[in-house]
Amino acid sequence: MTAALAFSDSLLGPAPAPDSLARLVNIGKTYGTGEHAVAALSNATLDIRRGEVTLIEGPSGSGKTTLISILGLLLTPTSGEVWIEGKNVTGLGERALPGLRARNFGFVFQGFNLFPALTALENVTMAIQMKDPRAKDAKGEARRLLDLVGLGPRIHHLPADLSGGQKQRVAIARALGGNPPILVGDEPTAALDTKTALSVMELLRELASTSGRAVVVVTHDPRLERFADRVVRVEDGFIQSITSARSNV
Amino acid sequence: MWTLARKLLLHDRLRFAVAIAGVSVSVMLVLVQVGLYFGFMDTASAVIDASRADIWVGKKSNDSFEFATPLDERSYYKVASVPGVERAERVLINFAQFKLANGGDLGAQIVGVDNQPGYKPMLAPWNVIAGDARRLTEPGAIAVDRSEYPKLGIDRVGHVTEVSGVRAEVVALTSGIRSFTTSPIVFTDIRTARSFMPQLGTESVTYVLVKVAPGQRVADVQARINALPHLAAYTRSEMSSRTRSYWSSRTGVGAGFFTTAVLGIIVGFVVVGQILYSGTLQYIREYGTLKAMGARNSAVVKVILSQAMISAALGFAVGAPLAMGMRAAMKGANLTVALSPELYAVTFVITAVMCAFAALLSIVKVLRLDPASVFKS
Repeated sequence: MTAALAFSDSLLGPAPAPDSLARLVNIGKTYGTGEHAVAALSNATLDIRRGEVTLIEGPSGSGKTTLISILGLLLTPTSGEVWIEGKNVTGLGERALPGLRARNFGFVFQGFNLFPALTALENVTMAIQMKDPRAKDAKGEARRLLDLVGLGPRIHHLPADLSGGQKQRVAIARALGGNPPILVGDEPTAALDTKTALSVMELLRELASTSGRAVVVVTHDPRLERFADRVVRVEDGFIQSITSARSNV
Repeated sequence: MWTLARKLLLHDRLRFAVAIAGVSVSVMLVLVQVGLYFGFMDTASAVIDASRADIWVGKKSNDSFEFATPLDERSYYKVASVPGVERAERVLINFAQFKLANGGDLGAQIVGVDNQPGYKPMLAPWNVIAGDARRLTEPGAIAVDRSEYPKLGIDRVGHVTEVSGVRAEVVALTSGIRSFTTSPIVFTDIRTARSFMPQLGTESVTYVLVKVAPGQRVADVQARINALPHLAAYTRSEMSSRTRSYWSSRTGVGAGFFTTAVLGIIVGFVVVGQILYSGTLQYIREYGTLKAMGARNSAVVKVILSQAMISAALGFAVGAPLAMGMRAAMKGANLTVALSPELYAVTFVITAVMCAFAALLSIVKVLRLDPASVFKS
């Protein structure tokens, strides 16, 4: 089980630490208004650091998805601040956000979300081109990323011809397109068997350790904690604890 | 974008085939209907367009080229004496009964032209493929079109028949001269025409054709003729437009053809729109993922628009040859489908616009797609 060095990021101020890639400060999110208002997240403060794997755990409806949606600049918080690239980006309009997301985030999902009509190589190439239409040698970069995740021999396969683990590796390669410093995974191992899930998590761990990326993974699976540097426990819209788990890796 | 668009379309081949079929039918309907319309209009003004006259003069009250009220021959002399007129010729147009080989009669549109010694007439049968049109000066000589053979029961030059009880001999055959009405056009000399239509008298004229003298402005001469009582002068192109306009608007034929063409566009719009929308819904999570990772709306919209343009191009590539096939088939039924390069170009643009509009619903869907929605399942 995880080592229990309790650590609360809520003690942090808004100024980013040197190894911080993103920071959420006193984030609150309320859906609806008036009598129908539901507080999905309250007073959440979290630092996302270079080279770390952060697991976000909690029961369904606890606010995990809201937390990573705000972190990934997909959702605007009702209160608090979001710091990316050392800047407060909380109030930025819709025009600025796609560029920020493209530069800073790669996403991996439980359902892979790969285009079934495209090969592994094409899925990754297309994502690189969509993130940056001026990207040079997108195909070469896609090959390199697919090699990195161990799918070199299968780059011309359609998703339908790949196993679940291989599809998730393609999705990870796609998320790495454009070289974003933060990878966000929404239950990326939930659809995989244990062995495959652990190998995917190993890959994410390795990406964090070797390239200095931050990996943030939402999960229900406590077996993944051994790959994490920190485990964030979310319940009822509050970050209940942030536990350092690095000693167990 | 093109690769993604093409692959997304081709991934479900059946659906893609339905989309292309929809666009193709639309393209074919537009080309054939508009082509038929232009074919009819070309036919309606063919006699006017084939003339070498600068100005056509008729009675002011005339609406229709075919059903024009005759003038008396004094009008011809008045027009001929207008300053700036180099030469004037008479034309008599009316209907007469053509005797068929089986003993029956068929109404024919008689066009009596003015063969003056030493001059090539400003209006004469064209596309002569057999016989000799110069023999039209002979009494009772007529020229008919090959396409009217079955209707008139004629099988050769030299065929002898009667028009309004007067002996008539086919001395020339033409190709491609068809009447807009169901009555075949029969060319003859104006003197013979008068004998075919005795009810009009011996000095009747339907139109006076004018050649403007060198150095004179057509508009000036036209104005001088228009100053004469009861006469209206039109340049050849004005006369042609008036005739087309008459048949197009007064008879509703234009509205009929264009309504069918618009229906074709609507069919294509609905089919392509439905196919693109269902395809967008199918890949909505993937589009959402791209947007979440920073793909701009414009990039995703380009993919959908590219799909629409591919559908338009391939639908046109299939529909245009279909229209050519329809043209060949309709030729056998004596119908002209006028397919010009301009019509192809305009139809292609219409098809592209139609497909782009059909993609609007899909575009709105992805524009409104919240990238955060990819986290919600």
